[in-house]
Amino acid sequence: MKISRSLKIAVAFSAAALALTGLSAPASHAAAKKTVIVLGGGDAFFAIVKNGVKAASGPALQAGVSVKYVGLKNYDNVGPDMVKLIRTAVSQKPDALALPNWVSSAQNPEIKKAIAAGIPVFLYNAGQEQLEATGAKAYIGTNEYQAGITLGKYLASKGAKHGLCINTSPGSANIKQRCDGMAEGMKSGGGKGETLELPATKFGDATAISNAVKGALTTDATIDAVFTIASVDTDAANAGIEAAKSKAQLGSWDVSPNILERIRDGKSTAAVDQLGWLQGYQVVNYAFTWVAFGMLPGTTEFLTGPSLVTKENAAVIIGAAKSGQR
Amino acid sequence: MAGNFRSKYNLSSFIRRPEFGALIGLVVIYIFFAIFGGENFIALAGTASWLNIAAELGIIALPVALVMIAGDLDLSVGSTLAAGGVTTAVLSGYFNLPTAVGIFSGLALGTFIGFLNGLIVVRTNLPSFVVTLATNFAVFGLMLGLCKLITGTVAVSIKPDHLSKTILGTYLFEQFETAIIIWLVVAGIVSWILYKSPWGNWIYAIGGDAISARLTGIPVDKVRISLFTASGFAASLVGVMQTILYESAQVNAGQSFVFNSIIAVVVGGVLLTGGYGSTVGVILGAMTFAIVNQGIYYTGWESDWASLILGVLLLIAVLTNNTFRRLAISGKSKKGA
Repeated sequence: MKISRSLKIAVAFSAAALALTGLSAPASHAAAKKTVIVLGGGDAFFAIVKNGVKAASGPALQAGVSVKYVGLKNYDNVGPDMVKLIRTAVSQKPDALALPNWVSSAQNPEIKKAIAAGIPVFLYNAGQEQLEATGAKAYIGTNEYQAGITLGKYLASKGAKHGLCINTSPGSANIKQRCDGMAEGMKSGGGKGETLELPATKFGDATAISNAVKGALTTDATIDAVFTIASVDTDAANAGIEAAKSKAQLGSWDVSPNILERIRDGKSTAAVDQLGWLQGYQVVNYAFTWVAFGMLPGTTEFLTGPSLVTKENAAVIIGAAKSGQR
Repeated sequence: MAGNFRSKYNLSSFIRRPEFGALIGLVVIYIFFAIFGGENFIALAGTASWLNIAAELGIIALPVALVMIAGDLDLSVGSTLAAGGVTTAVLSGYFNLPTAVGIFSGLALGTFIGFLNGLIVVRTNLPSFVVTLATNFAVFGLMLGLCKLITGTVAVSIKPDHLSKTILGTYLFEQFETAIIIWLVVAGIVSWILYKSPWGNWIYAIGGDAISARLTGIPVDKVRISLFTASGFAASLVGVMQTILYESAQVNAGQSFVFNSIIAVVVGGVLLTGGYGSTVGVILGAMTFAIVNQGIYYTGWESDWASLILGVLLLIAVLTNNTFRRLAISGKSKKGA
């Protein structure tokens, strides 16, 4: 009896899984002759990127190109995981591939192999400096270090002297560039910047981050600026600043409705927005117009940012953040 | 009459093998994705895409399975993997020492971490869950600190020599990682330990009841320390292989292996409480996990649902498995039920 019951549960689960997947299977696949696969991440920022990808998928489909987005589950082992994802994508024989080049030493050989196999590659989000080395068609994105400098400089111009960057992903090279850039920006504004590294497992962990910020601020009262490296960490950092009863400024990476409202109301100072939606939208545009019509703009390096969000422009952006473009 | 009886007996004893449930789970999952993933999933490149994942996971899951059969857990494989990889990359990449020096140092460090795990567990009598969890954090912190102190960064590149590349990190037929061959070798060694050497019975006995095992004269401490050491070695081996293959190492690599190795082991029919399991089961478990992980990409379904589907399919695999394991352990034929 027991056995048959667990079998029944298994059958019920499979039926549920099938029903669910059936619902989300795209009906328009049959019509499209060509495919573009977009690889990316799976956090809040890439949810925005994906919205951009989706927005550009409509026109792509009209041109006979279907677009598929596949995201990494986490950033624990970004280089090898991206290589595996690229190989998986290539084995599906797409007509073009769009991807962030996060760990070039691992990813470049695979990108070159894909190109050699006749699949054009478009880089976005990371890898601007690898455009020539890989032979990719174009790069759409921002420069992490420069964006960090922009944010650091702005907070320094608002009077910050001692900045602390909360790095919740200490293994990732591009996140380190962000913190380094912020420190450099603070320095050029006459202050100084340092990094507080939390274990990688703390990415997005609100309790851990707010307590770490609170602890740092109460230990060293000279810290008057806190930087976060992702939108998911920012609310927690703000809570930490409030709990420490500190007057420290808060500068964040990427935006969310909460972040924008705080900036609008003067509770937080600024944010840099990489414009993820535009990255997703433009990279699909570049890829599908190439696949369908052989078009490639003369501008092969399309910079989507950094866009500095301050009290002056926050109110305008809030609407777009609520509908999923910022 | 006699022939009939014999075939029936063989079938039921086959069904009662620990890996039978895992085999059914694997077949069901494979057919599922063969239907929904289409020809690209079944093709050579599609097969390689999940077999490569299974191989890397399997190399770690097999010794972890031994640790678990003996009633312990090893949650430190994530940081140990990174420690092996980063050590290799720092020595042979940053300091330009011969690749072999980096490889042997990486493996030595991983093996030592494993040995330390075993020693602490045996000496302090603390649960291995706690000890290895602590090691996972401590080793991560140590590697992060050292790597930043030495190189100033957290991701190190390396240009491995031709020989190491050929043995540890290249693609056979441009598709299959050499990890698959190493996986088979590891499977052979682990099977030999479990089924041919006296250690096999010791491991099962310790997992069943460590105290009585000790009373019967089994060198419990020695066995447990050796198993942790083996697990540390295997984790750092995968770290070294990834470093050679991808020509870079990152400090926070490998954390996903902590849970994934346990999932593969459990899907493969090993009891979380120890004392029961088989090598073939763990191999099948790693393959099942890899197929579910990669198969999703071939279906064309909205990737937002991938983790949900993954969770449901794993649950189905374990449920199927448990059904047959109950059959196996009860020792009764189904007609009585």
